[in-house]
Amino acid sequence: MSRLVSSFRLHNRFMLTLLLAAIFIWSLFSIKWNADLFHAGGIPTMLQIFEGLFHPDFSPDILMKGLEAAWITLAYAVAGMSLAILYAFVVGILASGTLTSSRVARLSSKIFFRGVLGFTRSIHELIWAWIFVAAVGLSPYAAIFALAIPYGGILGRIFADMLNDVPIEPIKALKSTGASKLQTLIYGYLPLVWADLISYTMYRFECSIRSSAIMSFVGLGGLGYQIQLSLADLKYDQVWTYVFFLIVLVLLVDVWSNSVRKVLTERKRRRGLSPGWGSSLFAILLIIGSWVFITSGDKANLLELLSDKNLEYAKKFFGGLVGVNEKHPAFLVTSEWSSALKLTLETLEMSIMAIGFATIAAFITVIPAARNMANGSLTSVKKWYNWPLFGIVRIIYIFSRAVPELVWAMMIIFIFKPGLLPGAIALALHNFGILGKLWAEVIEDMDPRPIRNLASAGASKIQILFYGILPTVLPRFLTYILYRWEVIMRTTIVVGFVGAGGLGIEFKLAMSYFQYTEITLLLLCYMILVIIADFASESTRKAVK
Amino acid sequence: MKKWLSVIILAMLVFSLAACGQKNDKASDQKKETKKTTEVFKIGAIPDQNAADLEKGMTAVAKYLSEKTGMKVEFVPSVDYAALVTGFQRGEINMAWFGGLTSVQARNLVPDADSFAQRPRDAEFHSVFITQTGSGINTLKDLKGKSFTFGSESSTSGHLMPRYFLSEAGINPNTDFDGKPNFSGSHDTTYKLVESGAFKAGALNEAVWQVAVKEGKVDTNKVKVFYTTPAFFDYNWTMNSNVDDVFGKGATKKVEDAILSITTDQKDITDFFQTDKFVETKNDNYQKIEKVAKELKIIK
Repeated sequence: MSRLVSSFRLHNRFMLTLLLAAIFIWSLFSIKWNADLFHAGGIPTMLQIFEGLFHPDFSPDILMKGLEAAWITLAYAVAGMSLAILYAFVVGILASGTLTSSRVARLSSKIFFRGVLGFTRSIHELIWAWIFVAAVGLSPYAAIFALAIPYGGILGRIFADMLNDVPIEPIKALKSTGASKLQTLIYGYLPLVWADLISYTMYRFECSIRSSAIMSFVGLGGLGYQIQLSLADLKYDQVWTYVFFLIVLVLLVDVWSNSVRKVLTERKRRRGLSPGWGSSLFAILLIIGSWVFITSGDKANLLELLSDKNLEYAKKFFGGLVGVNEKHPAFLVTSEWSSALKLTLETLEMSIMAIGFATIAAFITVIPAARNMANGSLTSVKKWYNWPLFGIVRIIYIFSRAVPELVWAMMIIFIFKPGLLPGAIALALHNFGILGKLWAEVIEDMDPRPIRNLASAGASKIQILFYGILPTVLPRFLTYILYRWEVIMRTTIVVGFVGAGGLGIEFKLAMSYFQYTEITLLLLCYMILVIIADFASESTRKAVK
Repeated sequence: MKKWLSVIILAMLVFSLAACGQKNDKASDQKKETKKTTEVFKIGAIPDQNAADLEKGMTAVAKYLSEKTGMKVEFVPSVDYAALVTGFQRGEINMAWFGGLTSVQARNLVPDADSFAQRPRDAEFHSVFITQTGSGINTLKDLKGKSFTFGSESSTSGHLMPRYFLSEAGINPNTDFDGKPNFSGSHDTTYKLVESGAFKAGALNEAVWQVAVKEGKVDTNKVKVFYTTPAFFDYNWTMNSNVDDVFGKGATKKVEDAILSITTDQKDITDFFQTDKFVETKNDNYQKIEKVAKELKIIK
């Protein structure tokens, strides 16, 4: 018996990998694989889209429009993030339970505020945006709040985790000197987590730029709005111009956040005046600039948000959602549930297919994308083609992750027929770049000695991959796959908006037809999916450990 | 390090508070101003065609109306049909150029709104079904098993009525096509997608099609019309019920008269709408649309 158990443990990861692969293959059966998947005219359309990629429209007025849209996108992201930080800070501290003294109070405050954080981050920012637009109208605040809420939820949770994980000794020392709860928090907890908190916030800031671009699809201006307009007029050359603006914006933020993180990690070793001043000054200027821009703009009337008129509309809207004055709310009708659950299953399949495709694509490309592979330090073998290959793969990664899923979906829908596959491909295209980048960093951080050993024993690249690299990095790879899968699950509804299958398209139709109780039903299904995803990935991660 | 970070956070807080304060002042200032000067009369239009053309045509209408009525008139573009209807419901759009279906939706949400004017052609509007030449599609029945694209899901001539006439012909759009039907979003996109071969066939507004042919925007060697629907009521100007309250008694009448007295002297406008005048219409004209929408479960 004990032998059985230990052998099971040994094969645990292997079995799990098999299981996950089997689930992926099952998801593939949801599609009838034949030539019918393409539009008859899909290929010519694809060529036109590609042509636009190589001949983007760089005429001055398009560039000016792009610049303005990029600034709007950045300003919304900055303003949204600054609110998110405030929200995360307050709720995160409450959710960590560091301010409460009795055990019962701590537990209940933890459960309650963690629940709040969980709820706010489980709903995608675009859906928040749409809810806010319906409630308060097309105001920039709708976009900013829609960004702040889910990002605050994510940041707050991480913040609470960090506070809970601080080493206990310094805190004890403070307490024994008679510090109050608040004093322990300010002088004990906070200084210990600052660096990590800021570096994680910077990482999220990069994501918020993409979200801010997507946000404009509800009609709030910015790069997403311009991309949508150009796509509607089938002007692919302009579409790519705006996409390039987005990529540059994401890259700039990426570079900035990398430098901030570097400063933070280096400071741990080095004392004295730091170059961090520049960054923080810049951050402050950016925040002020964004808020000034937003508050001075048209329609930006914070007081009016709470006007009687808006309260009335919000009441009407939420009343509609819960089915006030509706004889047969959709969420109480069995037949509506069964068709919605069918779509839910489809959406689940789409998300699994998406992460499967992304994993395969990242798997194929990740080895040349690792810096220590490119400079030969990992295998002690240098080839002339290593660096160019590294560059190409990294550029593809950047390209893939800088373009939001929704934009990928809008383009792919011209090539494939509406259905699950285009949605899955769009999600995969965006996530493979992220997965590849994260994985490459895992490989860069690994111990090179066993690999060098293998390489010097004459192992081929494939052999090195399977016997050297994979066994070491697999658990972390798996963690990232599951983490991305959770994110994909949240995004499935969004790619559905443009006709890429699943719950999203029904959601869009229900919105267009003002069928509020139907929307509630679809939101419930979507929440079920997010909960399933959280639970499944949490338990799988535990199994890997 | 602890110190400067605390300073930053503090500064951030102070500045964001300061920003809020500023905003509030400005808000009340603005309110005072709007009381003194006149409120802007906002017009909208369903984004059923090329955004640039729409902007040009509707801005011409706004300019004409402000000259004629003395009010400040502005065109507000919308991303999609539903956004315009929502804006109308919220009273942020005072008058809109709706399609048949969107006007019915809007009047369901704003019961006292009034569809008051249309083009002569809107009393007998048609949709055209188009396909590639040589596709072998000649009747609606031939569409079985072929890929198909509608326009926007909220469009009367791009979705609602084509869907109705398809089901009259025994085609269920949800199951009988090759894959699910696509929603292109606008009439211009529909013929472009059929021309490029992305979809075998599609349905769109006859007026947009005629302009596209006339201006050579579509290659008639590649795309042809194979079916024109029977007539139905479609586009109209709908006035919001809040206009007299906001702009003073008689404002509704003034704007309505201005729209109804447009002639070919306003060439920018009549060219854009492809008409020579606007004539009166009434809410009852759209009962058939409402009935069809209910049958197709688009309105409950």
